[in-house]
Amino acid sequence: MRILTCIKQVPDPESRPMINQEKTWAEYGEYTSYWINRYDEHAVEEALRIREMIPGTTVDIVSIGPERIKSAIRRCLEMGADRGFHLFIDSEDYLSPSIKSRLIAEFCHDMKYDLILTGVMSEDMMSGQTGPMLAARLGIPSATSVMKLSVNGLEGSIQVERELDSGHRCSMDLTLPALVGVQSGINRPRYPSLSNVMRAKNTEIIQIRLENSLLKVVSCETVEKIQEAGSDRAGIRLEGTTAEKAAVLWRMLREKSLL
Amino acid sequence: MSHSIMIMCEQSEGRILAVTDELIACATQIADHYDSRLTAVLPGLITEPCSISGADLLVINSPGLAQYTCEGWEKAALLATEQIKPKIIIIAHTSTGYDYAPRLAALLEGCCLTSVSGIEITGDSISYRRSGFHGKLDLLYGVGKAPLVITVLPGAFPAPDWQAEPGITRIIDADIKPKLTSHVQFSIPDQSNTELDHAEVIVAAGKGIGQAENLLMIRDMASCFKRSAIAGSRVACDNGWIEYNAQVGLTGKKVSPLLYVACGISGSAQHISGMKDSKTVVSINRDPEAAIFRYSDICIVEDLEKFIPAFLQEAKKHQS
Repeated sequence: MRILTCIKQVPDPESRPMINQEKTWAEYGEYTSYWINRYDEHAVEEALRIREMIPGTTVDIVSIGPERIKSAIRRCLEMGADRGFHLFIDSEDYLSPSIKSRLIAEFCHDMKYDLILTGVMSEDMMSGQTGPMLAARLGIPSATSVMKLSVNGLEGSIQVERELDSGHRCSMDLTLPALVGVQSGINRPRYPSLSNVMRAKNTEIIQIRLENSLLKVVSCETVEKIQEAGSDRAGIRLEGTTAEKAAVLWRMLREKSLL
Repeated sequence: MSHSIMIMCEQSEGRILAVTDELIACATQIADHYDSRLTAVLPGLITEPCSISGADLLVINSPGLAQYTCEGWEKAALLATEQIKPKIIIIAHTSTGYDYAPRLAALLEGCCLTSVSGIEITGDSISYRRSGFHGKLDLLYGVGKAPLVITVLPGAFPAPDWQAEPGITRIIDADIKPKLTSHVQFSIPDQSNTELDHAEVIVAAGKGIGQAENLLMIRDMASCFKRSAIAGSRVACDNGWIEYNAQVGLTGKKVSPLLYVACGISGSAQHISGMKDSKTVVSINRDPEAAIFRYSDICIVEDLEKFIPAFLQEAKKHQS
């Protein structure tokens, strides 16, 4: 079975995005830490689990972005993935899910993947679009928010269980090839073993260069304006030492008769 | 400039769900500025006569649509677009909506914006607001000529409290069968958690609590209040710190207690939609820019491991 896992590298959620001069995008400082999108890490783990169950399975990784994303692809190789593909673009600008899904669909064209895994969304932008759009472009079925996945080997299908609103579930069979967007509770991602770390050191990440001009042509929506998020509530910030803040909070809750 | 706007009804067993009114409210905001026709689309196996206030209704009726499948809804929506030729398609950001909306956009060669929380209209152009960068920034998107599919966050556009006139209902009997999806089965895991429904105070733990041991502290804090319960964010549940039946958010429970104390929760849109109706919100987070602070009445930038013991100390002082 040939599996592709699409991953994204995301910045540390505690780092501060700085709005650019044109107020159309935001950038991060050079000391920002980046890591694999948490949901995608679950997707990689799920791919590796399938490979352990079904002999002859290969797990490829693909990601789009600038030089920095190599470390995220490397991490997947360290977890045990077979090959890493880096669709290189020398830009930190907004790249719409529509474009990303086109680029990956093009990449998939001759690869004949049976199963494509993605995280259900990215932690930073939370669009949740690239996966389903990719599936639609490839003409294959997809399911999002998947909490359970098993391969029905002989029938050429998979069984998935989706998490619905309010904790309800829905299970179904999808004919392969298919795409699955995994939800974070599906498994516990492994830590790389020393032997895999050593192996990954000697595995070359395959870089595919993308033309920046090509990306502009298919751009559909644009970010017109970006601003500090507005507040829904007029929250007050408590000041002082930890003990002082605790005392003020206690008093305020007392005044509201909550204590 | 005229827009034809298509709204995909959210339904359960053929009945139109209340969130659909919010979608109509969103569509009406756009329609108020343009000469727009609103058409709601109801895919399903519909046995009873139905209509919807504020829009015309197009029923796509087929035995193959008796229950939701991504494939079935995609086909029904495509069939409806041939009839309606919409410029904008509005879908609820629910486990159904976000499953097929991006696919629909790709197949229509259009663009897609998910979890939209607001719209801004200036002159002839409409911008769509959604949050990004871990919920820290608001982004306003403009779109070109291509058809646009948006998913709207539940709760973002309040349904009007008055009933508009119902529009005209038209039924298309179709033969839509999912070909690549089979053995569809719905289930409701037995994970009722009535404690959360009845709690007046909810103390919720997020990623920031760092380790299971710190739950003790969260419990201690909860026990300072009468009728209290503990809950968690998605990450807290994924880490096994909190049971899934006590998860607050879009995929978990929607709660509205008198007091919600968010401990180490960053405040993703998914979490916010589960707790934003709480009467008072207190947030404790060491990241001064955490999105949760925008939805809080009392904001405390502190390390939980320092602050909660200090609060417990304070509580003890007043007890004695």
